[in-house]
Amino acid sequence: MTAISDRQKLAYVNAQAADGRVNLEFETEEGMTLNMGPQHPATHGTLRIVAKLDGEQVIHCEPVMGYMHRGYEKLLEVRTYPQVNTLVNRIDWLGSFTNEVPFILASEKLMGVEAPPRAQWIRTILFELGRIANISLFLGDTALHMGGMTAAFYAFRDREFVLNQIEAVTGGRFHPNFDRIGGLKDDFPKGWIADTKAVMARLRDFCDEIEDLVVGNEIFQARTRGIGIIPGDIAQSYGLSGANLRASGVDWDLRRDVPVGLAWDQCDWTVWTHPDGDSFSRYWVRLQEVREATKIVDQLCDGLPSGPIMAKVPRIIKVPEGEAWVATENPLGEMGYYVVSKGDLGPFRVKIRTASFNNISVIPWVTRGVYVPDVISILASLYFILGDIDR
Amino acid sequence: MPDIYGKGLLKGLGVTFREMTKTIFPDGMTKRPSPTKGAATVQYPHEKEAPAPRARGVIALKEDNCTVCMLCARSCPDWCIYIEGHEEKAPPRRPGGKPRTVSALDRFDIDYALCMYCGICVEVCPFDALFWSPEYEYSEPRIADLLHDKTRLGEWMETVPDFEPYEAGSEVKVRKVPR
Repeated sequence: MTAISDRQKLAYVNAQAADGRVNLEFETEEGMTLNMGPQHPATHGTLRIVAKLDGEQVIHCEPVMGYMHRGYEKLLEVRTYPQVNTLVNRIDWLGSFTNEVPFILASEKLMGVEAPPRAQWIRTILFELGRIANISLFLGDTALHMGGMTAAFYAFRDREFVLNQIEAVTGGRFHPNFDRIGGLKDDFPKGWIADTKAVMARLRDFCDEIEDLVVGNEIFQARTRGIGIIPGDIAQSYGLSGANLRASGVDWDLRRDVPVGLAWDQCDWTVWTHPDGDSFSRYWVRLQEVREATKIVDQLCDGLPSGPIMAKVPRIIKVPEGEAWVATENPLGEMGYYVVSKGDLGPFRVKIRTASFNNISVIPWVTRGVYVPDVISILASLYFILGDIDR
Repeated sequence: MPDIYGKGLLKGLGVTFREMTKTIFPDGMTKRPSPTKGAATVQYPHEKEAPAPRARGVIALKEDNCTVCMLCARSCPDWCIYIEGHEEKAPPRRPGGKPRTVSALDRFDIDYALCMYCGICVEVCPFDALFWSPEYEYSEPRIADLLHDKTRLGEWMETVPDFEPYEAGSEVKVRKVPR
C-alpha cells in the first residue's frame, strides 16, 4: 500500500464517520435528541435538522445536508457550454432562470463577448420574473409553516400567472434554458408585454392581500416578531446574503452595488432593509422585494430597446483559457460561478456559490435557546431551497 | 401591536371573504352564482388548458429533412437520441450526371424517459427536421413505451403550431414550419 491509497482510505473512513458523528454527539449526552427530516414535512425537501433539547428548549441544533447532493460541479466538467445551461437550471428550481445568468455572464466575460442591449433587458425582465415566482411562493409557504393554509393557496394561484408568462417566452415553466452565450435563444412573442404588465398589476394586488392576510395577522406576528434575531455583524460573519442580510439592517444588494451589465441601473427602485433581524423582518423584506421586482419589470417592459438579441458568436462555442467569477443577486441571495476554462468545449472546473448553503449555516447560532416551534418559524423565514444547498 | 387586538385577524378574514365572493360571483353579486367559473383550477380530463405555443411538450420529427448528421444525438446532454442510417445511391438530379449519395434514416428514437426537455437538439438541427410541439398527453403505463420511434415522432408533426410573430422592436425573423 502506498501513502496515497492510505490517505484515500482515511478519507473514505472519515466520510462514513461524518455521517454517524452527528448521531453520536447528540445521543451520548443527557437530554433528548429530536430529528427533523430528512423526510419531515416541516423541512423543505430533504434537509435534516438534529436538535438537542432540554425540555422545550433547543440547546444545540445542527443542519445535516447532502441528502440531495447531485454532484453538479463534477457533472459540469463533462458537459459542453450549452449543456451546462440545462443542468444549472435545476439548482434553485423555483427561480430557474436566475441560475443561468451568472454562468452565462462568466462565460461571456471569458470570451470577451457582450450581449446586445435588448438581450440584456430581456434577461433582466426574466430574472425579475424568476425572483417574483420564487419569493411569492415563500410568502405563502412561510404562512403555511405558521399554520395558515390560505396564503399558501393564494401564493400558488398567483405564482401560476408568472409561470405562464415565463412559459410563453421560454417554453418551460420551471426550466427555461433560455440564456445563451452572447444573447438569448428567442425574442418575446407578440402581445407578451401587455400580458406581463397585467400580471404585474395582479401581483401587486397579491402583495397587498398578503400584507393584510399574513403580515398584519396577530398570530403570525406573535410567532415571528423577536424570534430568531440575527444581528448584522453575525449575519455578515456567517456569509449570509440576500434578504436575510438586508433584514439584519445591512444595506447590500448586488443588483445595485456590483453592476454586471444587466439593466437594473436603468430603472428606479429601492433596496429595502429592516433593522430588527428577526423572522418577521425577513418576511417583510422579501415582501417588499416582490413589490420592487414588479416595478422593475414594468419599467423595463416600457423602455425595451429594439435591436438584435444575439451577438456574433461562433456556432461551436469554445471558451478561451482563463478564469472568471460573476455573482448576481438571486432570489435567495448571492449566487456566483467561478469558471475555469482551458480552451475546450466545456469548462475545466466550475465552482458554484449558492446562497442557501451559507444561509443555513447560521442555524446552529440562531436556534440556540429557542423553543421547538420557533425552530420551524426560523427555518421557514431563512428560506432555503434544497437544490440550492446540495446542488 | 395594533390598537385593538384581533384587528389583523378580522382584516385577514375580510381578504378571504373577498376572494370567496370573487370565486362564486365572478361577474359581480347580481348574477347567479357559478361554482366553477371563477375558480383558478380546471376539471382536467373534461376541460383542458391550452399550453403556450412555445411550450416544450414533445419533439416532432420531419423525417424528409433529416440527413443523419448526428448533431442532435451528439449535443444531447443525457444522450437519449438514438440514430442509425445508411447511405444510398439516388438517381442524378440532371440527366447524364453521376448518381448522388444520400443518407437514409433507419432509426430515430427519442427516449422520453430520459429526455430533459432542454431543446438543444431542436436548436442545433441545421436542416429544420426537429420541432417542439406543446402536446403533453403521452404518458405510458410501461416505461419502455416512452421510447418514441420515427413514425411516432413523425405523427407529432401535425400538432406543431406555427411560430408566433414577435413583439415590436424585434429583429428576429419568424421561421416557418415545413408542412
